This record gives sequence, structure tokens and C-alpha cells, in this order.
Amino acid sequence: MAEVEETLKRIQGQKGVQGIIIVNAEGIPIKTTLDNSSTVQYAGLIHQLVMKARTTVRDIDPQNDLTFLRVRSKKNEIMIAPDKDYFLIVIQNPSD
Amino acid sequence: MSTTRAKPKKPTLKVTPSSRVMNVSTSGVLRVNHSSTYARSINASVSRKSFSLAADSKILDKSSVQTPKHTVQVFDENGKDVTPQPLYQPDPAAVMSKHSKIFASDTSGGTMSDFYSTAYQTTTNASFAGPFTRSVFGSSTVSRGSQSTMESMNEEIEDPSSKRDISISLSDVQVRREEVKELIKEEMLDDVVDRYLIESETLWLLHMPAVSVSVDSEEAESVKERNNLYMELCKNRMGNDKYVERSMQTFNGAPKTKEVQSEAITMVDAATTATTWDMYDSFRSAGLGEAALSPDTDKASVPEIVSNHRLDPTRAPERTMSVISTTSIASASSSRIEIEPFVVPSEDEPDPELVLQSEKFQQDLFVMERIILENIYQPKLAAYRQLPTLEDPDSVPKVVPTVVSRREESSLDEESTLTPALERLWSFSCELTSGHNVSSMAWNKRNPDLLAVGYGQFDFKDQKSGLICCWSLKNPTWPERVFTCESGVTTLDFSASNASQLAVGMHDGSIATYNVESREKTPVIDSSDCAHKHTSPVWQVRWIDHERGASGEDKGETLISVSADGRISKWFLRKGLDCIDLMKLKRTRNEKDKKQVGDKEKKSEALISRQAPGLCFDFHPTDSNIYIAGTEEGHIHKCSCSYNEQFLETYIAHKGPLYRITWSPFCSDVFLSCSSDWTIQLWRQDLFTPVLGFTSTQSAVYDVMWSPKWATVFGAVNEGRVEIWDLGASILDPTIVSLASPGVKLTSLLFATETDCILVGDSDGQVSIYQLKNLTVGEGTQVAALEDIIGSTLASQL
Repeated sequence: MAEVEETLKRIQGQKGVQGIIIVNAEGIPIKTTLDNSSTVQYAGLIHQLVMKARTTVRDIDPQNDLTFLRVRSKKNEIMIAPDKDYFLIVIQNPSD
Repeated sequence: MSTTRAKPKKPTLKVTPSSRVMNVSTSGVLRVNHSSTYARSINASVSRKSFSLAADSKILDKSSVQTPKHTVQVFDENGKDVTPQPLYQPDPAAVMSKHSKIFASDTSGGTMSDFYSTAYQTTTNASFAGPFTRSVFGSSTVSRGSQSTMESMNEEIEDPSSKRDISISLSDVQVRREEVKELIKEEMLDDVVDRYLIESETLWLLHMPAVSVSVDSEEAESVKERNNLYMELCKNRMGNDKYVERSMQTFNGAPKTKEVQSEAITMVDAATTATTWDMYDSFRSAGLGEAALSPDTDKASVPEIVSNHRLDPTRAPERTMSVISTTSIASASSSRIEIEPFVVPSEDEPDPELVLQSEKFQQDLFVMERIILENIYQPKLAAYRQLPTLEDPDSVPKVVPTVVSRREESSLDEESTLTPALERLWSFSCELTSGHNVSSMAWNKRNPDLLAVGYGQFDFKDQKSGLICCWSLKNPTWPERVFTCESGVTTLDFSASNASQLAVGMHDGSIATYNVESREKTPVIDSSDCAHKHTSPVWQVRWIDHERGASGEDKGETLISVSADGRISKWFLRKGLDCIDLMKLKRTRNEKDKKQVGDKEKKSEALISRQAPGLCFDFHPTDSNIYIAGTEEGHIHKCSCSYNEQFLETYIAHKGPLYRITWSPFCSDVFLSCSSDWTIQLWRQDLFTPVLGFTSTQSAVYDVMWSPKWATVFGAVNEGRVEIWDLGASILDPTIVSLASPGVKLTSLLFATETDCILVGDSDGQVSIYQLKNLTVGEGTQVAALEDIIGSTLASQL
């Protein structure tokens, strides 16, 4: 547990990281470093995106599964590690 | 037989031979004097039919004996058989009865078959008459010799199965019209058939018995009498007991209206999307192989799919879709699994903790961190890997200086030639390591991205606890593994055969091996229990691969160490770490300095040990029997593993302790040594004086290493700077010099094996990665170049 906390702290301290959100399977945020409204917004939208992405991957080959998703945009990059129990979302602005 | 085989334009039937038969039969039938109305009707029908048939028939002959096998077949123009199938299969019983009827009448020339065929006719028309006729004909008599058959047939009326046989045996040909089909044999066509024209008997077409009789006829009297009788009968009828009028009444049940009401049948629309993976999942979770299930469970699994599909993303019912409620109704037949989410236990509280503590989450965090760092360090890592670095198109273009490190004598960049330089990429450091002195570094033999760094002080004063960090290139901000040791780490080396085994030598003389794969913080094995362990700091450990097997020693790797107590020991595992001494480094007397040294030696021998502290050693790259060792005295001893008493050679040139000695990986005769006397010496094995000496500054050279890529390049680090020497370019000055940040001493150097980078460790705990830029090494094979240099130098010295 302590290791997890440490790692989270380190990630938070990395250059350009804007926020970390951990969402459980239902879409309820467990842990977040952003404000509430942003968190809820991210959680809801990303949940749908991940579902879609996962469906896509699995439709092509049911034995395959989604392991990581990165969304690169003009202003930042959203990195999502999905699992069946949770989503780990990190927003980073790499050029900061 | 062309006549019999007719090919009409329109598919009408040709029944020629039978027509005559009909005629006969008809008459025969009429003779049956069981004139019930039914029979009559049948007769009439028969007669009508036969008439029509007769009209159609072309031949009215009576040649009875023809080939009975005439089946009527209808062919159209093309010769295809379009004989209409009989719509009615005559009941054999009825047929038989017909037979009986027919046989009852005696015919003059008709064959059985004829009658039979007629029977078919009659049955088609008046099938209803079957039962009646049976009863009628049951009593008919057979006049002809077919009596026996008749009786048999009568008996067998109830036995339909045999009738068929009889019928078949009797007649081979049926087929009038569309009743029975039989093939016309080909031979029949060619037969010559005789036709006889005779006058047929009178054909009664209609016989209506008269209702009235003329007065003059003979019957008049009888008729009158009969009439009178009848009238009397009618008169007597009134009041006569014989005639009673009775009426009957049937009860009509009272009709009752009954109404039934049922619950409205709820119709629900159920929709589901069966995706490929949904089906795959449900098959998998059903626990059976796909092949076994397939079509049977397709239906069964459909409702389950519906529920599962809803299950996975939703644990609580209030989630999104309202479809859930309908699906629950629709899929009521599926398993109990779907009941769970609707029970709503709402276990939200323990869940986040579980999530956060799960292995998978840690793994994901780990990967995420690396990815974030990759984002940050991408240009640097790309440069390390010698990939072209891409500019991020969205980032604000910054001026990225191509050379970050300080260069002193380097001239300005010109377009044509760029001076070789060191570019600092990044450094491995974290707060754990700050303040520790980097004492040694080693690459993992199997994973070239894994680096082990040992931290420990060189001096005996301010000894802190040592630290070993395993860094991965993918995460420059935090080590993958951290091991703390009691005393400062002075040296470490990865094993080649067991890539996760790391041997560590420490300042207190102990040697330990760690398994870097596991997360344990303790060494796998420690030499502290060994009786022969080193009593002074271990200055170098190395895994040496002995390839010889002749002497009975085991092949494979052994751990060799040299320490300040003057012993070079070979360690092996035997109920714990144990060692044997390969060599004891005795103090040698330098003949040149005999005068002064000799006395001191004698005196000091009593006090100080006979051993000379060994500081470094290196095994010959090809011959693992030979090694050279450097001592604190400044002597280099060439030794062999087979002799542990004597040195093979001694090279004396340095005036201070040797910090590093290393064979050239390309030229097997050449080795380098560096010492605290500010010099680096290049030796050749067979010469007792160094070939070349390199001096650049007046500070002790802590580390020197040949470049693994170029034979003429080596790097050296002294207290204040990193120097890269290219002997092909210049033997007097280093080609690249990079200064350390003030206050920090550079202590160790490591070349990266696959890329043009060097790692420099300093006393502040930082390991910096520099990239060698623009280092163009001369053409020609490197080895030859080096040997040329050596040769030329020697030549010049002579």
C-alpha cells in the first residue's frame, strides 16, 4: 500500500502531469487529484470511450483485450490503463 | 401396337383395349339383379363412363387376349411421361368388392383383368358405394368359374394386404385414366395385334322402368291388383295397430355463453446486441469447449448473453440503461447470476481499497509511470538509442542547444565539421542516492537497459551505509530496486550466466550476491560467515567464465575478488560462500629502488603485512587463465590461475596505487592502467615498460575504460573531468573533455555497450548519461590502427 502511495506521489510530481484519476468499474472516482467537476466529467466520458475501444478490439479478435489507451490532443495527453475493476487515468502535458 | 400407344396432342387418355372391356363389363353388371338403388347408380355411372370412354376409343374390337399389360400412359410431344397421377387411390377393400361384383356376372369373353379394371373405374366414381356394395355383393353369386376366387376375395375383403396381391396376380394391366400406371413395354409396340370387329351386344344406356302400364298390356291386371291392394293398405293404415305414428324429440341442449377472462399478456420488446466477444465470453464462462456447445446452447445462451452483457459494466442497477428492466423480464430464464446486481448490496466502500491494493493496479501504475516518463524523456531516450528525435509538433518550439555539456577547448560549431563533444542526456538520481558516492556501475549482461550502481565511499573515513540501486533506462527518476547494505559498496558485477545475480563487494570486506529479480532486500548469500573472508575492503569483484574443463574444475562462472588484504580469491558455493586463494599479492621488491626500499622493507615487513593491497584486476579476454592485477604499490602483476605462488610478470611504472587496469577488448596484448599518479599507461604484454602514457591533468585518475566499439578509444575519469581519448586522433590530448559540475567529483565511468553513450558517476550520487557526438574514429580496422600506433610509438622510441 505504501508503495502504491509512493508511486502515485511520484507520478504526480513528474513533469507536466496535470492530474490522476482512479475510477472504479461503475464510473465512480476513487481517488483524484483534480477538482470534482472535472473528475466526474473525465470519468464519465472516458468510461464510454474505453468501453467502445474495448469492444472494438474484442470484436476483431475475442481473445484479445485492451491494455492501454492513449489519447493525444493538442494540449495534453490522456493515458488510460483500463482493467475490469478500475480505470487509471493520467492527464499530462508533455511540453510543460 | 400403335393403336394402343396413343400420343394425343392433348393429354387425353387412351384406353383402347379397355373400352371393349367396359362394354362387356357393363353388360355384366347390368345382369346383376341386385337392383338396389346403389347398385343401379353405380351401374349407371359405370355405363356413363364407359360410354364416354367408348366414344373416345378408337378401336371397338373385341380382341380380348391382348397383352394385358396395357397401361395407359400419356405422353406429350416430347415423349415425356405426363401421365396424370391418380387422385384417388382406390381402397383395396372397395376394389375387391368391385371385383366381386364384377365376377358375379358371367362374361363371355372378358378376362379377369377387364373386370378388375372396371372396378377401378367404378370405385373412382363412386367410392362411397364401397361399403354398400360390399354388403350387396357379399351375397352375389359368381356364376363363372371364378367362384373360388370370388369367395376367396370375399373372405379377403377384410384383408387388404392380400388383395393387392390377388389383384396384381390377376391382372397385369389396369390403368384407365389416371388410376394406375404401368409401363408399356417396348416390345408391345412391335407386336402384331389382331383386331376383330364384331357386333357387340345391345347396350343399354338407360332403362327407366315404366310407372304406368297401359290397360291393354298383360301386366295390367297384375298392376291393377297391386294398386288395389295398395289402396286398401293405405286405408287400413289409419287406426291399424301395425302402423303407429311415433315422433321423437331430441333434446337440444341449452346453449350457454361462457366468457373467459385472462390477464393481459404483456408484450415486451427485448433487444440485444450479440457481439463477437460477448459470445466468446459466454462460451468461456460456461466452462465448456465451444465445439461441444454450439448449436444447442445458442438458443440458451442468448438470454444469458443479454444478462451478461448488462452484467459486466454494471454492478448497480441504477446504472444507465433502462433496458435492464426489460431484459430482466425477457431473460428470466437465464441463470441466477443476473439476480445479483439487482440485489444491490452496494459494496462501494471496500472496493476502492481492494482496487488500490491489487497487484494489477500496481502493475498499471508502474507502466503508467514509465509511460509518463517516456513522454518526458522521449527525445533523450531516442538520442540514447540513436534514433532520430522528432519534434513535437504541438509544443512551443524551444531552442534546444545541441550541446549542453561544458566544453572548454572545443571550437565553435562549423557547418562542415562538428567537433566531437559529449552531450548530456539525463542522469539517474533520486533523493535516495543524493549524497552517496558512486563507486561502481555495471550493466546487466542480459538486459542492456538495466544498470546496477553501487554507492559507497572510497575513503575509510565517513563511511555510510552502502546502497545498491538497479536503474532501468525506462525510468530515470526512480530505481527499480534498492538494496541497502551495511557498509559502503565498492564494487559490483552482474553475472553472465545467471543474469539476475549481482555480486557486490563492500568496504568491510564482505561479499554478497543479490537476486535482482526478486523484491527481497536481503542478499541471497553473504560471505560474512566465511572463515577466509576478506579482512579489508574488497576493491573489485568479477564473474569470470572459466571455459577449461580439463583440470577438473567446474566450468561456468566463478567469482573472483581482490581486496586490500592482498589476496585474490576465488569464491564458490559450498554450504555457504567459501573461497580459496588464487594469489597472494606479495610485496615485490623493486630492484631499482632497492636502496631505499630495502631497508624500509625489512623494517616494515615486520609490521605491515607481506601482502600488497590489491586494488584491481582483470582477466585476459580470451585466455581466462591469465590475469593482471594492480596493487597499491603501483605494480602490475601478471599471474596465472595455475600458479598461485608466483607472478608470471611484473610491470612497474606507476608511482601510486593503481585504480584500474583493463585489457583491450580488441587487441589481446594491450592493456591500460590508471593510477593516482595522474597518469594512464598503455602497456603491451611483452614489454615491461609502458608503450604510451597519457597525462592531462594533475589529478588522480579514478577510472579508465576501453570503448567497446572502437579499439583506439578509451575514456578516463579523474576528479574533475571526463576525458575521451582517441588514440587515432591524438595521443597527447584527449579528444573530448567534459568538466564536472563544481564541487562534485567524478568517480566512475562506464561505456554503454550498444550505443555511443557513456555513464559517469560522481560523488553526489548522480549517474549522468552522456552521448558521444561527432566522434569520428579513423578508418581502417581499429585493431590495426591501434597496433600501428603502438608500433610507430615504439619505433620512435628506439
